[in-house]
Amino acid sequence: MKGLSVLLQKEWRENARNFKLYWIPIVFVIFGIIEPVTNHFLPEIMKSVGNLPEGSEFTWPQFRGEDIFVSLMGQYQLIGILIIVLAFMGSISGERKSGTATLLYVRPMSFGSYFLSKWIVVNGIILGSVWLGFFAAWYYINILFNPVAAGDVFAFLATYSLWIIFAVTVVLSFSAWMPTGGTAGLSILVLIVLQVIDSVIGAFWTVSPWKVATYASMMFSSITNQSGFWMSIGLTFVLIVVLILFGINMAKRNAAKTTV
Amino acid sequence: MSEFANIPWNLILPILVLQLILMAVALTDLIRRKQTNGPFIMWIFIILLGNLIGSIIYFIFGRRHE
Repeated sequence: MKGLSVLLQKEWRENARNFKLYWIPIVFVIFGIIEPVTNHFLPEIMKSVGNLPEGSEFTWPQFRGEDIFVSLMGQYQLIGILIIVLAFMGSISGERKSGTATLLYVRPMSFGSYFLSKWIVVNGIILGSVWLGFFAAWYYINILFNPVAAGDVFAFLATYSLWIIFAVTVVLSFSAWMPTGGTAGLSILVLIVLQVIDSVIGAFWTVSPWKVATYASMMFSSITNQSGFWMSIGLTFVLIVVLILFGINMAKRNAAKTTV
Repeated sequence: MSEFANIPWNLILPILVLQLILMAVALTDLIRRKQTNGPFIMWIFIILLGNLIGSIIYFIFGRRHE
């Protein structure tokens, strides 16, 4: 792990200078606030702009605070994942294209620490943003809905974090493997299209990384499917390790493709 | 005017403040950048009129350096 701390500093400074360190948390927090507020005022919003016919009665479902956490997770599953893919698809392939990588590859650094420095910093930014977003939502849910038990929230966040780490690892390792465009396409295929497929026909199996988010939302209910839950967690963990090794290997193999 | 007062400002205000910060960050970045992906003036309008989505689109697509 030669030069890991130096590379970590380089990554941190780069993300501060291109403002990713600031805009990604702000966007996640805005979504975290909007979700409880719009759900709370939904009946009034529909009354004023919904164009409902005069005298029509509509009973709105009574949302509990827990439901808002799950619906915010639904937002992050699409918009959040898109932000992760689009913001970090060029992490490694873009460096190869712009020639920054050439300046790095001539120095005595190991590709392990090169890949891990990116992995640690990107995960830090994204996990920090997701947690900040859920904490902002939690604050509003306590005001507008009912208080949610802290134990449930942390169990939910811990489980969901594993899925987020999986998403970041997919994007980074594909970025080491392919050019930026291919990274974007394949990451969206793996993280969003397969997630939809899993939710449509996923009733036939209980163990898959795409089910981790569903298992996370089950933390709020008393239904627990222990065996499927722990198997999915284990499988996701193994896949993360495999993808990291694959990414390091591909970063090394594609080093010659860098622009000089 | 009474409708204006009915809006729960204490709930909405944090969203507005955060959007303004995001917009300010996007504009600072746009002004400091020498080259953008597309005309400079177009991005100013997108950031100022596009609210949350405008700033996000600028951060993702406006800063391709060639």
